[in-house]
Amino acid sequence: MTRFEDLYTEADTFLHRLDPRVKMASVLMLSLLAIIMSALTYLLVLLTFIFVLLLLARSSYRKTTFAMKFVLRFMALIAILWPLFDPSGTPVLIRLGPVVITEPGIWRGLASAARVGCLATVWYILIFTTSQRDLVRGLVKLGLRFDFGLALAIALRYFPTFGTVMDSIIDAQRSRGMEFEKGNIFVRARKYVAVLGPAIVSALKTADMLALALQSRAYGARRNRTYLRELNMRPSDYVALVAALAMFIVPAIAKYAFSIPI
Amino acid sequence: MNVSIAAQSPPIISLQNARFSYEGGVEALRGVSLNVARGENVAIVGGNGSGKTTLAKHLNGLLKPSSGKVLIGGEETSTTSVATLARTVGYVFQNPDYQLFCTSVSEEVRFGPKNMGFGHDDESALAERALKLMGISHLREQSPVSLSLGDRRKVAIASVLATSPRVLVLDEPTTGLDSVESAQLMATLGVLRSEGMTIVLITHDMRLVAQHMDRVIVMSEGRIAFDAGVEEAFSDPDRLKRCKLLAPPITVLAQRLQAQGLLTEGATTPLQLVEQLVRVRGEQQ
Ligand SMILES: Nc1ncnc2c1ncn2[C@@H]1O[C@H](COP(=O)(O)OP(=O)(O)OP(=O)(O)O)[C@@H](O)[C@H]1O
Ligand SMILES: [Mg+2]
Repeated sequence: MTRFEDLYTEADTFLHRLDPRVKMASVLMLSLLAIIMSALTYLLVLLTFIFVLLLLARSSYRKTTFAMKFVLRFMALIAILWPLFDPSGTPVLIRLGPVVITEPGIWRGLASAARVGCLATVWYILIFTTSQRDLVRGLVKLGLRFDFGLALAIALRYFPTFGTVMDSIIDAQRSRGMEFEKGNIFVRARKYVAVLGPAIVSALKTADMLALALQSRAYGARRNRTYLRELNMRPSDYVALVAALAMFIVPAIAKYAFSIPI
Repeated sequence: MNVSIAAQSPPIISLQNARFSYEGGVEALRGVSLNVARGENVAIVGGNGSGKTTLAKHLNGLLKPSSGKVLIGGEETSTTSVATLARTVGYVFQNPDYQLFCTSVSEEVRFGPKNMGFGHDDESALAERALKLMGISHLREQSPVSLSLGDRRKVAIASVLATSPRVLVLDEPTTGLDSVESAQLMATLGVLRSEGMTIVLITHDMRLVAQHMDRVIVMSEGRIAFDAGVEEAFSDPDRLKRCKLLAPPITVLAQRLQAQGLLTEGATTPLQLVEQLVRVRGEQQ
């Protein structure tokens, strides 16, 4: 079931308490910062800062390792492959026929890996610490149409359910002697027709019933709806927002207005 | 099947202190031991979440015990693939929509035998036989998705029967069926049984159990609370209640009549009750 699980973990940390809008804005700022930075040292400082945030998020150990395994593997892949395709600069370290590896290439590979690590982790932190409901509510408050927000919330909500359905379908087909592990990749891909067919039918049926259930509870009777719990910015939210903005704007000015290499 | 032979031959299903926990930490089986002989007709009953489905999924290797043993036809499931076990044990899922994907009923029914590598001719013969048994030969060319729930379930069962298993496990096959459809399904199971099929039926319908099954395994909180013949299983209302079950109405009626001194023995089916009443009257006259 782990494949489709909601990554959010209930906890009471300052990251959980932040207004979802502020959190989204901060994540965006940190992402932009990671994108404009190119010096390895600064990227590593940023990565360390983000990893500290990850620790502070107190997400479940299982979910954290599950997500970070992907991130770390991807970082390693970039660090290894980048120098092979970016041979500019000197000194040349290795020259093997068409393969040229230079020292600056290696540094740039490490920097790119760190950048991707920052980007992926910071978005994971957002998902780890914000319930789907709060994410959607934040987006709606920021101007997303309410019905789109509801559609998004429902999609997120049904993701794990859909995963369970997929597991049941796979079990049902295995019970009729189907072996998903056998054959080459094309044969195997074709076998998934036996899973996707029932999955799509059952998803459509669920969607149909859900639409009826929403309508029978008067969904669509009013264009705008009220909320039981309004989002309200607290002083700490403003502090966090200003800090996040500064974390992007100050380095951006340093880099582009004063040509400081960061 | 001859009882003495059944008792002699090794059990087709054997669980020895099987335990199983789901990833989330729920211990769904807490040491289950049981033997089912070839040709036996067993109902698994119990409250919601008592572990019936988990137990059933161990019978064809979809789940493997975390400790203890599950033997099917003498082979341990933990070292046997589901595809191999599927040749012995057919498993009908509760929701037929989880397995129907072909564009026609006949294709759907041939899917299992095809996976198992029966030749084309055998495949056709097996499929035809399964369609006929389930009484859906006339639906052959239809699309399974567009059929009624009753018919979809028949297609699902036929598609499992077509793999010619020796054991048939059905998880709540009568849920959502009207009483005529249920009765038909139970009659079909009776036919299969007379051909020597071992049947394991999970159900919440105690009337069906009383009418059609020989042996009742009652699950409660991941354990077998008791394992008995139908009459004995329904004889103790308090014990049933502790397992979140109620005896079928006929049994309750017979128990009340017994308490009033109007009957000497219990009954689990209408026929039995009538026979008892007739006998008591005969004795009085
Ligand atoms: N995939 C799963 N992951 C985690 N826990 C599960 C899973 N499936 C079942 N369980 C838990 O295992 C226990 C036994 O469940 P099981 O489905 O075997 O019960 P059941 O007797 O079939 O119930 P029902 O009558 O509702 O079908 C329950 O506590 C259930 O919540
Ligand atoms: Mg069940």
